[in-house]
Amino acid sequence: MSSRDDILSRVRANLGVAAGDEARRAAARAVLETPAIGPRPSLPDDLAARFRMKAEAMASTVDRVATPAEVPAAVARYLAERGLPARAACWPALAGLDWAAAGIDVAARAANGDDPVGITGCFCAIAETGTLLLASGPQTAATTSLLPETHIAVVPVSRIVPAMEEGFALLRAEQGFDLPRAVNFVSGPSRTGDIEQTIVIGAHGPYRVHLILVGDA
Amino acid sequence: MRSQAMFFQRRAGEALADPRLQKNFAGLKDKFVGMRARAVANYENDFEELRDAGQAIRDRVIDNLDVWLELFEEKATARGATVLWARDGSEICEHVIAIAQRHGVTKVTKSKSMLSEEAQLNAALAAAGIQPVETDLGEYILQIADNEPPSHIIAPAAHKNLDEVADLFAATHQQPRKTEIPALTREAREVLREHFLSADMGISGGNFLIAETGSVVLVTNEGNGRMVTTLPKVHVVITGIEKIVPTLADFATLMRLLPRSATGQEISNYVSVCTGTKGEADADGPEHTYFVLVDNGRAGLVGSEFQAMLRCIRCGACMNHCPVYQTVGGHAYGWVYPGPMGAVLTSLYTGIENALDLPHASTLCNQCGVVCPVKIPLPELLRKLRERQTERGLRPWSERLALSVWSRLAQRPALYALATKLGVRYLNWLASGRDRIAVLGVAPGWTAGRDFPAPQGRTFKELYSSRQEQKA
Repeated sequence: MSSRDDILSRVRANLGVAAGDEARRAAARAVLETPAIGPRPSLPDDLAARFRMKAEAMASTVDRVATPAEVPAAVARYLAERGLPARAACWPALAGLDWAAAGIDVAARAANGDDPVGITGCFCAIAETGTLLLASGPQTAATTSLLPETHIAVVPVSRIVPAMEEGFALLRAEQGFDLPRAVNFVSGPSRTGDIEQTIVIGAHGPYRVHLILVGDA
Repeated sequence: MRSQAMFFQRRAGEALADPRLQKNFAGLKDKFVGMRARAVANYENDFEELRDAGQAIRDRVIDNLDVWLELFEEKATARGATVLWARDGSEICEHVIAIAQRHGVTKVTKSKSMLSEEAQLNAALAAAGIQPVETDLGEYILQIADNEPPSHIIAPAAHKNLDEVADLFAATHQQPRKTEIPALTREAREVLREHFLSADMGISGGNFLIAETGSVVLVTNEGNGRMVTTLPKVHVVITGIEKIVPTLADFATLMRLLPRSATGQEISNYVSVCTGTKGEADADGPEHTYFVLVDNGRAGLVGSEFQAMLRCIRCGACMNHCPVYQTVGGHAYGWVYPGPMGAVLTSLYTGIENALDLPHASTLCNQCGVVCPVKIPLPELLRKLRERQTERGLRPWSERLALSVWSRLAQRPALYALATKLGVRYLNWLASGRDRIAVLGVAPGWTAGRDFPAPQGRTFKELYSSRQEQKA
């Protein structure tokens, strides 16, 4: 007997059920077709304010501008204030912004280990926990938010949803039922507490996550 | 990992006598317990309702585990992953080595996987000429400390302090010794970054498998889980068969429980839902994805009186809150999983007869039961294990004799009254006027580390009958 059949038949024997029970399969499929939403925390009406508060609690920094055109200047300001290099890899969708005018050298490609800064958008953002939802794809490299020491994300206020549940619903509405290869929920810079339970910001992922909210207050 | 669970008493004694270890674990207790309490208090709704929901989700899966496994397998396969099955640790090693050889892999980066500890996978990989590199900072520290076992499921190097880590890094990395935690963390980041970028294969555990989408979920703070699932061309997921949750909505519910219970965070820094393989035009991701679904004892719990143990989502709250774990640390338990959940799992997965002390390494105070996010009745399971030991005649003769004497006495009230009366006289004689007994004559072990309180006045039965007389 294969390992698979052996394991499944032991599970069935212990449950006291037979293989190929269509009624049990149908019951499970019914759960998948009408997923039950579980209990959730109550959220305030102002999702942008909630998102900002929770993002800052996870050690992200947050800025806000009115229009996408203002993003390069906001990025330049952030980098200059911290003495960080004005050189970045960005998602192609953001390549059309006037980075040169803001004095930033931006390459529209996936980030590699040498890029000091990665600039991404986000699929949407989660107000409950101050989290970015990043969906991998041809134009949205996962490495850009992961390898550089500084990750800057552009977050349209219109894309802030209450919770993970709404994030998944939006993904399916816009990209189809199947999930993209990687859905990464990112909440602030990487950290570790593995030495004496002392929290250190900056483990394997970025040391800094800076969020630029775009849209009218 | 070969179980050392039979040596709990000796190892616990050594841990108690090691002041450095005692200091390291004291810090662990303060931080994790306080952070969880704050996170639960700050939850903007009823946390008990959330625990009930978590339990219901896990029970629904285990009650129909065969069906959910098949549905997961269908969906994961449809998304381009290969699903393999392993009865035990040696089959895990066979699968992983075969995958590595098929793809010409010479180095693997590993995100934390407790199942690879169950299987002693690192030793098997090394023997096959494949270099395993642990990338969770705690696991990395243990790997360079000559492959020490983890002492906590989410803080594996909790037993090591800063000085010990500094010494290890200086010796291993051939760099000047650093003494600040951020500097040590950066040094590990730089060493491990090279490995992330050059490994051909990533191995991870899985916090959840989602049947609806055929996905694996990895929850990390360091970002190593993202690295091993993004950079190498092959990704191998090793998980227990019980890790399935039906839907994305169920997963979202469990994510409100897991980080709060584990580290006291509302959310972990990185939660990655990985599905299938890299698309043709995708910028990154593995070209080959494998799931190794592991039994290694789990199927035996299904339908048994211990089935509730399969709900476990591996948060570590039970050990953080356990007065025994807090005192003796993780290594005393002798196998992969320590604390209350470890005492149950070690007994059931490695054999009740091979872990005789573990069900007794508990005061049954129920701290673990109260904090468990999926409401596993851990004290009840520990008590059931004690019953199984007794039924199988696995307890020492002295304990069996004492209990049979007690049960005879307890069934004969007059004899019982006489025995307690004599007992009290004996204890009063031992105390000879003091209120404490330094050495208990019949059971000197009991007073090896504490005094025994001297009886105060008469026995309960004597007091009770005199009260009854007064009333009459």
